[in-house]
Amino acid sequence: MDINFTQEDLQFRDEIRDWLTNGGYPSHVKQKTDNGIALTKQDMIDFHKAVSAKGWMGYNWPKEHGGTGWSATQLYIFNKEFGLGGCPPLLAFGVSMVAPVIYTFGNEEQQKRFLPDILEFNTWWCQGYSEPGSGSDLASLKTKAVKEGDHYIINGSKTWTTLAQNADWIFVLVRTETTKIKQEGISFILVDMKTPGIEVKPIITIDGDHEVNSVFFTDVKVPAENLVGEEGKGWTYAKFLLAHERFGIAAIGTSMRQLKRLKNIVSELDNPELEKKVTELEISVSALEMTELRLLSALENGGHPGAESSILKIKGTEIQQTLTELFVEAAGEYALMYPGPHGFESNAKPEGPDFVANSISAFLNMRKVSIYGGSNEIQKNIISKFVLGV
Amino acid sequence: MNLNYSEEQIMLKEQIQKFCESEYDFYKREDVVQSENDFDANVWNLFAEQGWLSMPFSEESGGFGFGPIELSILFEEFGRALVIEPYLSSVVLSGNILDNSSYSEKNSIIEAICSGSMHVSLAYAESSNKYDYHNPLTNLSSDNKLNGTKALVLNGANASKFIVSCKSGNDLALVIVDANSDGVSVTSFPTVDGQTCSEVSFENVLISNDSIISSGSDANSLLKRAINLATLCISAEAVGCMTSCYLKTVEYTKSREQFDQPISNFQVLQHRMVDMFIESELCKSLLIKAMLEVDSNSEDMFKHVSALKSQIGKSGKFSAQQAVQLHGGMGVSDELMIGHYLKKMLTIDALFGNSDFHVKSFSASN
Ligand SMILES: Cc1cc2nc3c(=O)[nH]c(=O)nc-3n(C[C@H](O)[C@H](O)[C@H](O)COP(=O)(O)OP(=O)(O)OC[C@H]3O[C@@H](n4cnc5c(N)ncnc54)[C@H](O)[C@@H]3O)c2cc1C
Repeated sequence: MDINFTQEDLQFRDEIRDWLTNGGYPSHVKQKTDNGIALTKQDMIDFHKAVSAKGWMGYNWPKEHGGTGWSATQLYIFNKEFGLGGCPPLLAFGVSMVAPVIYTFGNEEQQKRFLPDILEFNTWWCQGYSEPGSGSDLASLKTKAVKEGDHYIINGSKTWTTLAQNADWIFVLVRTETTKIKQEGISFILVDMKTPGIEVKPIITIDGDHEVNSVFFTDVKVPAENLVGEEGKGWTYAKFLLAHERFGIAAIGTSMRQLKRLKNIVSELDNPELEKKVTELEISVSALEMTELRLLSALENGGHPGAESSILKIKGTEIQQTLTELFVEAAGEYALMYPGPHGFESNAKPEGPDFVANSISAFLNMRKVSIYGGSNEIQKNIISKFVLGV
Repeated sequence: MNLNYSEEQIMLKEQIQKFCESEYDFYKREDVVQSENDFDANVWNLFAEQGWLSMPFSEESGGFGFGPIELSILFEEFGRALVIEPYLSSVVLSGNILDNSSYSEKNSIIEAICSGSMHVSLAYAESSNKYDYHNPLTNLSSDNKLNGTKALVLNGANASKFIVSCKSGNDLALVIVDANSDGVSVTSFPTVDGQTCSEVSFENVLISNDSIISSGSDANSLLKRAINLATLCISAEAVGCMTSCYLKTVEYTKSREQFDQPISNFQVLQHRMVDMFIESELCKSLLIKAMLEVDSNSEDMFKHVSALKSQIGKSGKFSAQQAVQLHGGMGVSDELMIGHYLKKMLTIDALFGNSDFHVKSFSASN
């Protein structure tokens, strides 16, 4: 056994650290994330464009499609360092969700048309999977696409669509055929958000923010060439995509950074009960990090860790949520106040700790992580079925 | 032994329930949250008409003389319906202090509170005090000038008077100040659950001798009792929230279908809801114990309120978080009531000492 990274991996890590601290990470974005200020759409674009300019946008793509061709270890290091450096999470919808489906199952035309813009972050993608009646049971989806000549006509509605208000394109799972087995008859289609008949309505979440939307489709006419792969094979592609979504799900780097912030705050409070909870959390982070490294090692040494990676989702999200809970506890009585997701107006700030607004906003916002991306209950079903075999 | 409510108490409970159903649904509540200073005078007048604003005041002061049991009933129902009216600040905190004080002007102020025409806020907290309300930095000088800043003053934006805890020499004092006096400034902020709280600063505010409600050990006792009663009230409110959380979650999971069946069929969700139910019953037990102790004015009453509040801090957040989780995406939508229970539980945990604080208080009084 050897727990150390190779010399090359360490060099790779230093290169990323250098980019993060020496001007690669756009300073106006860094300044905001360091101070817990919400990013605008333009900030997000600037950040992604900077990553793209460095050539790192295709972090999980093979070289032949313009990606980095990184090993699993490099990918792990990249993700961890970005988290430790306080970067906003890279938007997964384009680069790590739809793109792998396009370069694996799409035709050459589609690859030429969509992949370069994803690499350069010229297009913002959103994910149209969930529907009002289909969440955990995604395969029950009802949004219909009917082929008419060289077009599909789409009718139905998607929900919880993250940042659809910013999106140029949406990838949707639609039903092209009603079949006995519901997983069959599903297709994967790319839709330009400017197509007539698409309506985006905001859903405000408990933190007061507008992050998710309902997307309604009324007779939306989409060229048949926007179908990816074969009609009726959408479920296979969706499952393939979910495997890619696992990337970085443990959010180790981000949690470590937050933990450090929390420790600094708590060290000033003279509150041994809270200190103990923070220490316990630090141990959990360590256990999770080592678990991720074990999976990584298995992968690098020819193994095929599968359902075990659900541990990363479950524990990673529990840690993220506990962190926000402890920040709120650290705020003490001041946790009473909440000005909304954009913080207090600079000319009217109350006394008391300056991390309050931010902590409540994070606490409320992070309730989602145990619900989306396959809820934690669903992840446990996966482990019990595929790992324990019960 | 009989741990049931009396007939009158059951009637009160039903009256409040009926009011909440007919006059205070979730949409009405949203209107209140949206209105200026998060306050709707019409609703408050209805409260006055029902007699609720007079409920806990002694008969000598023109109230009904109801005790902590009736207050707990009221707050439990408020919790179930997520009522956000500023009852706690005027009626419970300030009201209790005034009622038990020998302040000469108290009758006219209590009358104004009962009729709904006046709000009085208790300014008990400061930015540095970490729940130690008996050692304020706000100071009353020997020439009666009040200086200092009070934090998190509940309903401060609507108050026309403040009762302020301060130090006068080495003693604690409680003084009453008009909100529009020279040297008083009020800045208001929203709370997590949709109310307001304020930061109130006093700069050389002149306090007449008559406006010193109490000082010394009497002031300590008045403040401690009022906070203890308020802690009982918000704990009762939390019990109401927890009851709603499990009931609404059971109802939702029975109607939400995934994988061709109601999700209530999944045993893991059944057990989770059973846990929510158990936590809520245990809190209810501690609530009954605490309210009886407060009702009998026993020496142990502070200890039992601490037991209750420490349990509420844990069980309340657990229940509300599970309610959100079991509602899936719907749980985090601001348009459903369920996420607002979680916000309420955050508020309740932050007020008057969180779980850890009350575990310590309990153990210190053992
Ligand atoms: C903030 C946010 C952003 C999102 N962004 C997107 C997006 O961009 N695109 C998109 O397509 N979707 C998105 N989603 C949707 C997300 O994927 C769904 O919320 C998720 O799949 C759960 O579905 P549901 O909300 O319908 O809950 P339900 O499936 O109704 O689940 C309700 C509860 O039942 C439990 N449950 C369900 N089935 C089982 C079972 N078999 N065994 C045990 N327990 C079970 C769940 O764990 C949950 O606790 C987002 C959701 C949120 C909250």
